[in-house]
Amino acid sequence: MIRIAAVGDVHVDKDVLGRFRPALEELPDRADALLIAGDLTRHGTVDEARSFVTEFGGLGVPVVVVLGNHDHQSDQQARVSDVLTDSGMTVLEGDATVLELNGHRLGIAGVKGFGGGFAGACASNFGEREMKEFVGTTEVIAARLEQALNSVQCDALVALTHYAPVPDTLLGEPLEIYAFLGCYQLGRAIDSAPTALALHGHAHHGSERGRTPGGVPVRNVAHPVIKQAYNIYQLLSETVDTELVTT
Amino acid sequence: MSTQLDEYLEAEIQSLLTDGRIAELGITVNRREHLLVLGGEVESPLRRDEICRQINQRFPDVQIVCDIGIIRASAPSEVEEIS
Repeated sequence: MIRIAAVGDVHVDKDVLGRFRPALEELPDRADALLIAGDLTRHGTVDEARSFVTEFGGLGVPVVVVLGNHDHQSDQQARVSDVLTDSGMTVLEGDATVLELNGHRLGIAGVKGFGGGFAGACASNFGEREMKEFVGTTEVIAARLEQALNSVQCDALVALTHYAPVPDTLLGEPLEIYAFLGCYQLGRAIDSAPTALALHGHAHHGSERGRTPGGVPVRNVAHPVIKQAYNIYQLLSETVDTELVTT
Repeated sequence: MSTQLDEYLEAEIQSLLTDGRIAELGITVNRREHLLVLGGEVESPLRRDEICRQINQRFPDVQIVCDIGIIRASAPSEVEEIS
């Protein structure tokens, strides 16, 4: 059994210091790792990244993150990643990591992701250069997620993104902005591998649960959606349904 | 001339909310007959107060009600089994 804690969109700056910490101190008793689905900071500055590390670092469990759009706001995402990596956190962007937890191998593949929309209401790679660059960015990022997901050997595989891979978890958001909240290409990448769980954030007014067209469970862990410091998900459960055991 | 509570005002406030300093993309702006209601949730009381202060400063003749909440950050009491 593996238990992973997850949250996204915590938007840490100095004014948030101490708000998450009491709940985070309890985390090692409740979960084996913490995954954070982007928007770690408010404006993507190095100072905010340091505040994030102060609040979410030194927990005694592995912390794996992807960046979000807020973490790109100041064009310092590389330096933000360095601050996180130097503190011992793992930052994923088109790559994967494997954690050895309780005798199991947990694979995590992550990208920030991008917008573009979903079947029947999505942007097309056609027309103006700006539009082709927009959709082209979506396609490149999704291809990197697909490659990362299929690159790992593990017992349980988790996809970690900031943008949403399905429209299900956007329910509650205005329909008009779905195309800026996620894209179907991320869902297709997730369905290309034996993914056990997909986690994302970004959609503050969205809903918690959904599934990809291929049946992979999707959870929107944006902090305003889950309304607690983190959620906990259990994978590789060892409990046996006794009704199915023949004697 | 007093500020009209119309779609352009709503768009201007959304633009103010997403500028570099406030950087809040999840705030709702609802127009009532004579006032504007701000909704959504932020990570700290300081951010909520700053949003209201800046909007009041920019549109002093508009009556604004702030219903913005602070997101709770307590530890969870349940585990979800994924299958």
